[in-house]
Amino acid sequence: MRFAVDTGGTFTDLLVEDGKGEIRMYKAETTPDDPVRGVLDALGLAGKDIGLGQREMLEKGELFIHGTTRAINAIVTGNTAKTAFLTTKGHPDILVIREGGRSDMFNFKEPYPDPFIPRSLTYEVNERISFDGKVLEPLDEKAARTILEELKAKKVEAVSVCLLWSIVNSKHEERLGELIEQYLPGIPYTLSHRINPSLREYRRASSAAIDASLKPLMGAYLGSLERRLREAGFKGRVLVVTTQGGAMDALAMADAPIHSINSGPAMAPLAGRFYARQDSSAKDAIIADTGGTTFDVSLVRDGRIPWTRETWIGPVYRGHMTGFPAVDVKSIGAGGGSIAWVDQGGLLHVGPRSAGAVPGPVCYGKGGTEPTVTDACVVLGWIDPAFFLGGAMRLDRDKAADAIMAKVGRPLGLDLHNAAASIMRVATENMVHAIEDITVNQGIDPRGAVLIGGGGAAGLNAVAIVRRLGCAELVIPETGAALSAAGGLISDLRAEQSATHYTSTASFDRDGVNRTLAALDAKCQAFIAGPGAGSIEQIVEFTAEARYPSQIWEIEVHLRKPRFDGPADIETLRQDFHAVHEQIFAIADTKSAVEVVGWRASVRCRLRDTERLTIVQPKGARGATSKRRVFFADHGLVEAEVHRFEALPSDHRISGPAIIESSFTTVVLDPGASAVRRPSGSLAITPH
Amino acid sequence: MAATPARKLKSGRELDGVELAILNKRMEAICRKMANTLLRTGRSGVLNSARDFSCCLVTGDNRLLTVSESLPIHVLRGADMMAEAMQQFHPELKKGDAYLHNSPYHGCSHPADHTILVPVIDDKGIHRFTMVAKAHQADCGNSIPTTYHGGARDVYHEGALIFPAVKIQEAYKDIDDIIRMCQLRIRVPQQWWGDYLAMLGAARIGEREMLQFGEEVGWDTLEQFADQWFDYSEQLMINAVRAMPAGKAITTSMHDPIPGAEQGIPIKIVLEIKPKEAMIEVDLRDNPDNYPCGLNLSQACTESSVLLGIFNGIAAPVPTNQGSFRRIKMHLREGCVVGIPKHPTSCSVATTNVADRLGNSVARAIAEIGDGFGMASTGSLIPPSIGVISGTSKKTHGAYVNQIFLGWGGGAASPQADAWISIGHIGNAGGCFQDSVELDEMRFPMFVRDRHYVTDSGGAGRTRGGESMFVEFGSTEGDMEVGYVTDGTITPAEGVRDGGPGRSASQFRRTLNGDLEPLAACAQALIREGESIVSFSPGGGGYGSPLERKAELVARDVREKWVSVEAARDKYGVVCDAAGTLDVAATEARRKTMMRAAQKH
Repeated sequence: MRFAVDTGGTFTDLLVEDGKGEIRMYKAETTPDDPVRGVLDALGLAGKDIGLGQREMLEKGELFIHGTTRAINAIVTGNTAKTAFLTTKGHPDILVIREGGRSDMFNFKEPYPDPFIPRSLTYEVNERISFDGKVLEPLDEKAARTILEELKAKKVEAVSVCLLWSIVNSKHEERLGELIEQYLPGIPYTLSHRINPSLREYRRASSAAIDASLKPLMGAYLGSLERRLREAGFKGRVLVVTTQGGAMDALAMADAPIHSINSGPAMAPLAGRFYARQDSSAKDAIIADTGGTTFDVSLVRDGRIPWTRETWIGPVYRGHMTGFPAVDVKSIGAGGGSIAWVDQGGLLHVGPRSAGAVPGPVCYGKGGTEPTVTDACVVLGWIDPAFFLGGAMRLDRDKAADAIMAKVGRPLGLDLHNAAASIMRVATENMVHAIEDITVNQGIDPRGAVLIGGGGAAGLNAVAIVRRLGCAELVIPETGAALSAAGGLISDLRAEQSATHYTSTASFDRDGVNRTLAALDAKCQAFIAGPGAGSIEQIVEFTAEARYPSQIWEIEVHLRKPRFDGPADIETLRQDFHAVHEQIFAIADTKSAVEVVGWRASVRCRLRDTERLTIVQPKGARGATSKRRVFFADHGLVEAEVHRFEALPSDHRISGPAIIESSFTTVVLDPGASAVRRPSGSLAITPH
Repeated sequence: MAATPARKLKSGRELDGVELAILNKRMEAICRKMANTLLRTGRSGVLNSARDFSCCLVTGDNRLLTVSESLPIHVLRGADMMAEAMQQFHPELKKGDAYLHNSPYHGCSHPADHTILVPVIDDKGIHRFTMVAKAHQADCGNSIPTTYHGGARDVYHEGALIFPAVKIQEAYKDIDDIIRMCQLRIRVPQQWWGDYLAMLGAARIGEREMLQFGEEVGWDTLEQFADQWFDYSEQLMINAVRAMPAGKAITTSMHDPIPGAEQGIPIKIVLEIKPKEAMIEVDLRDNPDNYPCGLNLSQACTESSVLLGIFNGIAAPVPTNQGSFRRIKMHLREGCVVGIPKHPTSCSVATTNVADRLGNSVARAIAEIGDGFGMASTGSLIPPSIGVISGTSKKTHGAYVNQIFLGWGGGAASPQADAWISIGHIGNAGGCFQDSVELDEMRFPMFVRDRHYVTDSGGAGRTRGGESMFVEFGSTEGDMEVGYVTDGTITPAEGVRDGGPGRSASQFRRTLNGDLEPLAACAQALIREGESIVSFSPGGGGYGSPLERKAELVARDVREKWVSVEAARDKYGVVCDAAGTLDVAATEARRKTMMRAAQKH
């Protein structure tokens, strides 16, 4: 048996897969004070439902795959360890200067962000290495010892080290690591060239600082998770999903906790890729995961999940950039809880403020007074107030209606239904923009892509979104409401190796590059023999991080083979770069040489041997079709059929207007759209 | 500028607040797409690293409608004037045309800001909108290897190639004559070519999107949207000005002496806020005539600087377009250093130095009229740490010339918050990226010895001014020239409402034996291999009396080394130790004494 658990902001999602490829879905409330309890609660629900009891079920478990927001929450709430920052003399303000940049140009009400590690815990180390690895000034060990003594006196809990050019010559960082072990035994530390061997000191320093600051906390959390699972009877392997869309052993994660920053959202595209392959013929996929407060968009381009090094924790330029390569996920504050409001000039806005879980939308009746997207859906008849979360919570439609009229309808001179429909239009537009931003950056044309809808609130306006984007297809998977957990279930063990070795196709350093690639390959082989032992399949892929001369942003080009045997291979790399550049930016400078700054090897070890992801029909699910009045902007109030998602027979086409709902989600089928349940269980929707 | 009367609606039906919101989002998305393309494909550091570019959308009748998140000095005014020049010089615009524009006499900011204008022509051949992509070039063919020729006596001495809306593409194909001219007169031509492709790509992507958008929703709807969007923006501006205090203020400032303006350049602003009429009026006519130097402002930069000072100072979010601009009246004079320059006056350095003095003085005038509005002065430019470096080296396979962005600070304190430290200057509002030391050392034959913020260099105040940045770098291979035009060595960035000034700027050469020799404020400094150049960028001004700053905040500033123990005591009246432990009783006593002394003055 396998368990995939995604601890989100509101719910802890659990998928249980038995040995025969059958999957069951459960949701329990997240318990922020002790998240492991929420995990055990969900397991308890499953044990009872399966009829084995929790212990007996866990004893049969071989894999436990976990996605967690623990790390990112600790950063956002300022609960990370007291961490010091050691850097090259003359450059103490790397974390203050960052990379510059600012948005909202005329707004001077926001202060400049504090550095991730305060200046009072920043120390300059006497040493300097040049860009080609020469030691210009040797490490002053005596001065370094004095610094470490001071850290001890200040009771520092973790240490991060980033020296200039440690990616070319790591000697000084290594030596500082040894000194830390000697003078501050037991204090965790992170060296920048190990955690993120990439060019640009701020990004590397930020990765090191974030990683070190998480070590005490994530070590304790993951230790406690593993221990309590063992106590509950689990004897298998505990894996945590990484920000790079793979999985790693919990203990390894505790040693490099920056990998867990985007642990949850990074799983969604894995599941999205799976469903895109299974249920669509489109080459590219857009994965939209809609929860209560955030809307996460990720992509699949030509079967690959694109990455970025520009992941921000908090708002862009005002938060912290991790600098760490990660699955590219664009998040905006939009979801069921987003608040609708009209400004002084009479313009309707939705978000970015959210009513959150408390007080929540007005219809929750928990004291919310500002109308939200969920309130609009209730008023439009899209959400059944009596069947929210399978009837677990009754919603107050009248309260929602009053709030919408007071805050939106009357100020804009619209009646109730049109006011609610307008809220949905603006919310849809916000989501479309988030999608356009990430697709344009990654060079994907939405018109040729399939949209995979995940998260509890995805189905409400997914048809409207794909109509605006011009996507040909929309797929709502059976596991959609727990898409991240589904991604966890099918994730591979994964590790990334990278190295900086600058060269140009104009004067290619073939031997140097081949040596670099061989060293990366050796690390991958060691991973396969170590954590990857016994896996079903192993894949190593190589990438170059390249650019045109005097460009400064690199893009990824996949290498066709891990060695450059002659001029033809170099020319292939140049041509492949032109093609990728053209795909992303619509232009290529085909006469130009290409510079390569970094090299990367990615190793994946497959753990799952089946190609299925099918949910077991819950007991008592029957095809109880009913009807209710729902409102659509261009059609007014119409009579719509209401279907139970899990009871829909496959290959039976439903035409809009219709509502398809389950305990976990609601899918709105606008007039003119039609849906068919595939044998795979997914709902495939044709928007027109 | 004169208020433009709103035109009659063409389709007769008013768009409601929902349609307006959605159409506006679509317009913004198009500008954002253009900007993303430019950022990611640009070749020169000025462009891809410092984001010194902008994209916007102008209506067919040349009114600025939508702007990507861009450097404000680039786009508040000018795009409209450039589009107008394009129409005037080319009455018959055709689909597939593109125009190169950098003439400061026809709406461009300064000659280094090459701009591509693409008219959006619908299927019936009607010119609907103009897409504008502007990017600061690494070189523009000046007589010396810098895009900021402070000492230029006139445009001939300056040497830049001037393109007053010159057709550079026809039927989507380059006009090679123009390209060849550029490649023969612009240094490192392949870099210019790369940036040209990036600008053109951005404008063409904007054109493609606009054409689709117009087809989808109808051109009449878009034109109607424009009219209503201007009215909406004007209404928000009316509300904002009505919420401000009435009053009139005169502020002055002085740009440091430079060749051609040996006595410095004095600036005087007369600003009046008229809440009843919901108007702000600015008079710049009582200022000197154009100088025989490169610091004269183009009309676009004059007007943009005034608008910038106002929009920074009103403390309410208002869209910046032709609609909100209707509530601002400016009085300008031809031939004035902050007015409308006459050819062949040089405007080589129009986006920064005197423009900074102007914008800052406007923001200060607003602050003088009412607490809670306006801002202090932002530090000025252009210190050597963001100068234009040039030379020849093996590492760059020959000649190199590029502006570096190693660092700046100097943000101004606002009534609500401490300064955004890394603001750069008022015209760029912090939008530029700052270079990675490693990236610069990899790309150029240079070595960056030091880069840090300087303690006690931000203006003291209730809210604190941004710190000065210290940068020291040198050449590792042969001689290197560093071009810069520093302002603020004599007159620092002013504080406001009893806030203190920022630290003044200075620059030195560190000789081979380690001595520091002062360098001129405006120079093309030759740094020999092994020497280095040392640059202090100016700090920014503080807002309000430092004695009103919360003592706990001052103690934190001390702990974090922004403020020294001595300055905390002498300027803020706060007694604490280096770890930031506050002596509450001593602080109270000291502040009382200092306040009494201040009142006596």
